[in-house]
Amino acid sequence: MSLDLIEPILFGLLALTIVGAGLGVVLADRITTSALLMAFTFLNMAGMFVLLGAETVAAFQILIYVGAITVLILYGVMFTPQAPRAYGLFFQKQTTVGAVVAALAALPVMVIAFAFRDTGSIPPRGGDLVPLASSIFTDFAFPFEVASVLLLAAMIGAIVLVKRE
Amino acid sequence: MVPGPFDIDPLVWLVLRLLIAVVLTLVLILVGSMVLIYLERKVQATMQDRIGPYHVGPFGLLQTFADALKLIAKEDFRASQTDAAFFIVAPALVFSPMLASFVVIPFAPGIVGADLNIGLLYLATLGSMGVLGIVIAGWASNNKYSLVGGLRSAGQLISYEVPGILSLVTAVLVVGSLSMVHIAESQPGPITNVFIIPLAFVTYFISALAETNRIPFDLPEAESELVAGYLTEYSGMRWGTMLALTEYGNVTIVCAIMSTLWFGGWQGPGVDSGPITGPVLGVLWFTLKTYAFILVFMWIRATLPRMRIDQLMSFCWKILIPLTLLNLAVTATLLIAFPETKVPVAIANWILLGAFVVGVPLIQQRRLRKLRERSRARTLGAAVAG
Repeated sequence: MSLDLIEPILFGLLALTIVGAGLGVVLADRITTSALLMAFTFLNMAGMFVLLGAETVAAFQILIYVGAITVLILYGVMFTPQAPRAYGLFFQKQTTVGAVVAALAALPVMVIAFAFRDTGSIPPRGGDLVPLASSIFTDFAFPFEVASVLLLAAMIGAIVLVKRE
Repeated sequence: MVPGPFDIDPLVWLVLRLLIAVVLTLVLILVGSMVLIYLERKVQATMQDRIGPYHVGPFGLLQTFADALKLIAKEDFRASQTDAAFFIVAPALVFSPMLASFVVIPFAPGIVGADLNIGLLYLATLGSMGVLGIVIAGWASNNKYSLVGGLRSAGQLISYEVPGILSLVTAVLVVGSLSMVHIAESQPGPITNVFIIPLAFVTYFISALAETNRIPFDLPEAESELVAGYLTEYSGMRWGTMLALTEYGNVTIVCAIMSTLWFGGWQGPGVDSGPITGPVLGVLWFTLKTYAFILVFMWIRATLPRMRIDQLMSFCWKILIPLTLLNLAVTATLLIAFPETKVPVAIANWILLGAFVVGVPLIQQRRLRKLRERSRARTLGAAVAG
């Protein structure tokens, strides 16, 4: 037995956990459970990136999504007054619509995924920090700057909203 | 894949290696926190002119063992209205990132769990994960004090992560690598990073105090007036895991980061003397440096009073973050302008450090004067109106 045999097993475990936890995020009737399961999904996604040889992306995935965004969502949940069971009903009413939308979104993804089935394996990239950093600041400098400006605008907007009173 | 010793199958060795590493780290954390709790009590007692623990064992050495036994033997108690699953998961969420952090700490040449080329990023990532457990603990306790305490702690930790990571980035710019092993190897001489970027060290030290909830930033567990924040409902070994083990484990990690990044880690006289004595001496120097910082943490705890939450936040956002950003920009510019020498970086950093040390008291004095004037005007206005 070698690592080549373990890799598909690990992939299967991670994929099953991601799908299961993702379903849990949607189906759980309590929003805090959903938030925690979402953090769990992000963690497993990071495991997927490590499996692909992209440790840097995995580290940023955890730093940004688990460490920042999930905490922010939990903040939002805890500062929002909740009537008992109201959030459960909110989800229950939209099961059919949700299923249709999910199916519509999943269809093109599956079509694209199966189109790439026979292209062979692509060498893993993104594990090394140096090429990643230099490509961000040379080839992708413009998208990077646009994203920065967008975030700056959002931040200024948030400050203006809070400062209004 | 690493070939195993004694003809063990590499695959079995892969799993075995992980198990051995986890067990060793757990032992290190358990014994380390016992030693640190004893040290903390003794050092504080000495500073406050007391004796400290002395009943159990010689010099009270077995006191922490007795305390740990008491904690483990305590009833596994959970208040009836708490949220069972989250309440039980939260201590694990706080503890496990700290446990995983030990993987990349270089204890001596060759003695490291894994030499990740993104080692420092990995440490920063795990440092940000503990916040999740704290928020969940506060929420699951179903108690207003815990909830507010958890959110207050999360706010503090998220805020102080920013200057902490910015200081680490400054050090990484000077060294040119994120790998902890490379960073330790790059500082063999007497001129370690602390002489080149002293300001980054000071700012990281302050944020490390805040991120490990130590005085003067220990609002998360202020047991005397803020009912211990998110820890209110916890007791027994869950409390022990969350507070004792995690706090002292995190203190060990930030002190190890400081000694590796700014003081050369395991570097010291005689580390390349031989295959056996080298690593032993390396571990010795590393431990000495790390424990020196831990002792400074304890000294600060015995000396300084606790800050208020608004003072803590305004110090971070109005002073520390602009200063670390400025330091990062200046260091990056000077490193690109003078790629051969680090002297300009060192000069700029020492000047900025001087400005910081002189500037903060001046700013504080001006603020205090303004506050006094405003309160005097208010009392005068009230007197006139009355």
